[in-house]
Amino acid sequence: MAAVEKRRPAGTPAGSFTDSGRPSVSRTAAAVESEEDFLRQVGVTEMLRTALLKVLEARPEEPIAFLAHYFENMGLRSPANGGAGEPPGQLLLQQQRLGRALWHLRLAHHSQRTAFNNNVSVAYECLSKSGRRKKPGLDGRTYSELLRHICRDGQAPEEVVAPLLHKIQCRDHEAVPLGVFRAGMLTCFVLLEFVARASALFQLLEAPGLATIDRRVGQAVLDTLEGALGAGDHATTPACYLEAGSRLGPDSLALAMDRAAAGRRPSSPMAREEFLEKAAALFIAKVKPVG
Amino acid sequence: MLSPERLAQPDYEYLAQRHVLTYVEDAVYQLLENREDISQYGITRFFTEYFNSVCQGTHILFREFSFIQATPHNRASFLRAFWRCFRTVGKNGDLLTMREYHCLLQLLCPDFPLELTQKAARIVLMDDAMDCLMSFSDFLFAFQIQFYYSEFLDSVAAIYQDLLSGKNPNTVIVPTSSSGQHRQRPALGEAGVPEGVEAALFYQCLENLCDRHKYSCPPSALVKEILSSVQRLTFYGFLMALSKHHGINQALGALPDRRDLMQDPAGDEELERLLAQVPGLVPAAAATPEPGCPAPRILPRVGSPWRPLHHPRKVDTESDGSTEETDESET
Repeated sequence: MAAVEKRRPAGTPAGSFTDSGRPSVSRTAAAVESEEDFLRQVGVTEMLRTALLKVLEARPEEPIAFLAHYFENMGLRSPANGGAGEPPGQLLLQQQRLGRALWHLRLAHHSQRTAFNNNVSVAYECLSKSGRRKKPGLDGRTYSELLRHICRDGQAPEEVVAPLLHKIQCRDHEAVPLGVFRAGMLTCFVLLEFVARASALFQLLEAPGLATIDRRVGQAVLDTLEGALGAGDHATTPACYLEAGSRLGPDSLALAMDRAAAGRRPSSPMAREEFLEKAAALFIAKVKPVG
Repeated sequence: MLSPERLAQPDYEYLAQRHVLTYVEDAVYQLLENREDISQYGITRFFTEYFNSVCQGTHILFREFSFIQATPHNRASFLRAFWRCFRTVGKNGDLLTMREYHCLLQLLCPDFPLELTQKAARIVLMDDAMDCLMSFSDFLFAFQIQFYYSEFLDSVAAIYQDLLSGKNPNTVIVPTSSSGQHRQRPALGEAGVPEGVEAALFYQCLENLCDRHKYSCPPSALVKEILSSVQRLTFYGFLMALSKHHGINQALGALPDRRDLMQDPAGDEELERLLAQVPGLVPAAAATPEPGCPAPRILPRVGSPWRPLHHPRKVDTESDGSTEETDESET
């Protein structure tokens, strides 16, 4: 069906467009002018400008897929565009708002801080405009639900992220200021990436065939990680990042693992869940609780 | 997971590298062509479907050649579409001539230039006996190299000619539009000089070329692998080796491995889906009679034998037995 639309009837003069309220534009006369006018009138120019700015802001790896999602979401947002039906209920509205907020949040990777921050603000606005209620603002319940959503979609095991949610959740009736919202979202996304990396690390250490790793090696890796995270504790200077980096460098990590593996005593295996949970705990310990 | 260099690129470079503007422009162009539909569909839906079809690779179907070859993604999508649509030819073991393959290509792209099909056939037939029959897989893989790396191969041909005529490779300035130069077969060496050029020297020049080439090139490690396994080789020997190399096929990413070419359950579904689109297309096609193309409306039906194209000399053996030369150079 997409191909049908894109089929270009080469050479056929496009007929007159007298339908709907649009001014009928003859393609043969002053084609370029009228085409530009047409695009401006129906809003294509503005729409594409906004879309391209979003692309540039987010710099996605696959911009075309990004654009497809972008327009898809835009179509969902305006029910006037074909999505006719009865007005959605309150619950559905809430779901839509959450979906829209999530979509904004995912537009840019959190390492692109400016773009991410912009998107966080937009998402915050989306959620704040809650329906019929007079007072704008975001309540703790919506915020917590959004956090749970992000974690669920992030494919991190529930027990791994649960402590974080516990720490940064707000009470249901509390109003959530933008600052807290931003910090919460950022922490959540960073943790998900952290868990994904830890999971990749586990895969590297995994004994072939078994779904476990040697406990001593695993513990050595975790200890190194803890040491590196601890290095940033008191100092605020950039030097502490360097120190953390060097502690996690291949040399020192390999050394620690080597030392751990050298002790020939048999040790119990460590499963993925345990490793991830412990790694995440190191991270979560650094997170400041809300309130 | 991320390729961070894209974050540091200037805006325009980022957009150009990923051909974003090519597609946005084309989308607008298509939108203008289909203004009537827009009032029904809505603009956002139009863009959603356009960009989705670009992602899925169905956007190149029945489009003009200039668009099909505009980006590497379009080229790969076209190769994939060609394979998926005409896989049955290979399945049946039919052998077709260059002209017949050209007709198949024109079913998907009415203004597909004959020159490209000819060049691909030259690779299969080692620039010899151009009216020979070819198996589907032989043609497909040669065509893939010729179509996807078209500009690169033109430059390679120029370099090859220079080497053959004894020019110093380090001073070679590669003209990018020198197609046709390599047409005449390299003359057999006059006094017992072996055919072709020295592989090591050839590689040096190609490595250089890959570095500064602005079009797609095959991975230079794989080119090296091909060229380091032989002492000397001819231009078509090199192209044949490229087309048979499955690492290059993998790097290109459009087609499956040669041995999986006929089995593709996902492709069967896709084919059904594509064919389901066809009836809707036929009335639109009536507006564009293509004088050069034989009956673009005779579109394939799954399972039906290829009556119009069926060659009387049907060979029952495996499809790869098309030409003796082909099998010799298998690596």
